[in-house]
Amino acid sequence: MIAPGIKRGTAELAVLSVLQDGPLHGYELARRIERQTNGALRFTLAALYPMLYRMEQQRWIRGSWETSANGRRRRCYRLTPAGKKKLSPLRREWAELFRALQRLTKVAHA
Amino acid sequence: MPDWHELVRQRLSGLALDAAEKQEVHAELASHLEESYESFRREGLSEQAGLNRTLAQVENWQDLRRKICAAKKEHFMQSRLRQLWIPGFLTLILSMLFQFALQKEGFQPRIVSWVGPGTVLLPWLVSLPFFGSLGAYISLKGGGSRGTALLATIFPVLALTAAFLLMFPIGLMIQWVRGSQGDFSIVATVLLRDGIGWLLVPGAALLAGGFSAVILFIRRSSSHHAVIV
Repeated sequence: MIAPGIKRGTAELAVLSVLQDGPLHGYELARRIERQTNGALRFTLAALYPMLYRMEQQRWIRGSWETSANGRRRRCYRLTPAGKKKLSPLRREWAELFRALQRLTKVAHA
Repeated sequence: MPDWHELVRQRLSGLALDAAEKQEVHAELASHLEESYESFRREGLSEQAGLNRTLAQVENWQDLRRKICAAKKEHFMQSRLRQLWIPGFLTLILSMLFQFALQKEGFQPRIVSWVGPGTVLLPWLVSLPFFGSLGAYISLKGGGSRGTALLATIFPVLALTAAFLLMFPIGLMIQWVRGSQGDFSIVATVLLRDGIGWLLVPGAALLAGGFSAVILFIRRSSSHHAVIV
């Protein structure tokens, strides 16, 4: 079982990484993450929005209402300068963690 | 197809947010559910199956309501503490301590004349832009907006204003209890005179410091941002 802290960390990294490519609304954001991770990371509505609201409060992302071409109003999220700043150390931390785990599993199998 | 907005509104009833924010959350979640449902239908699911799969995204609406509230409020409270209360109280305490220190050192308030003779402690007044800029800087460092930083800057004046406004009715009540006839015009003149000397002028001095800190901070962050880009 993955601890909530680790889960939250990966989820935040996923959201920030995907938003780096451009603004997205919640539903599309979840779809994009699912597609780009081949279904390994899936966000239900119940998991996604509390996290988006928390990240918004931390000013890593900013949401604003936009009307699409078909007249549908959606809240689009974009990365803020603080979010961009947060992304690079977060990526580094996770890369380090994955490298450490890989080393560990290699040693375990050797 | 169900009325998603109404469905969300009912299931999230009791969401402890202000009306506008609640409306936004309802609209956003309803829009998400609607898109999920439409996507399931496009994949070929029947109405009922689409509906079931869509609603399965939220196992426990009460839990979701609690999580949304926590996400929206928890950080807000922490931010308010870091961006307003701590810098505000620090500005108040430091400026008051400096004032006491000056008076202990023998500096006396100077008599100046605006609406009648009033008093002002000149060295204290000169120090206020520094305390104001310190309050604003701490607020901005804590992620405060320009408005919050300026509010933290003038926090000592707001606290003094509250004290002044409390003194007025309390003074009138004391006079009424004692049975003496108070002259309202004298009280009002004293309040106005001291209000200028101890509230308006110090407020302007604090704001001057706060504004300069805000401008410097914004310039610094924008030049730093330019380097990163």
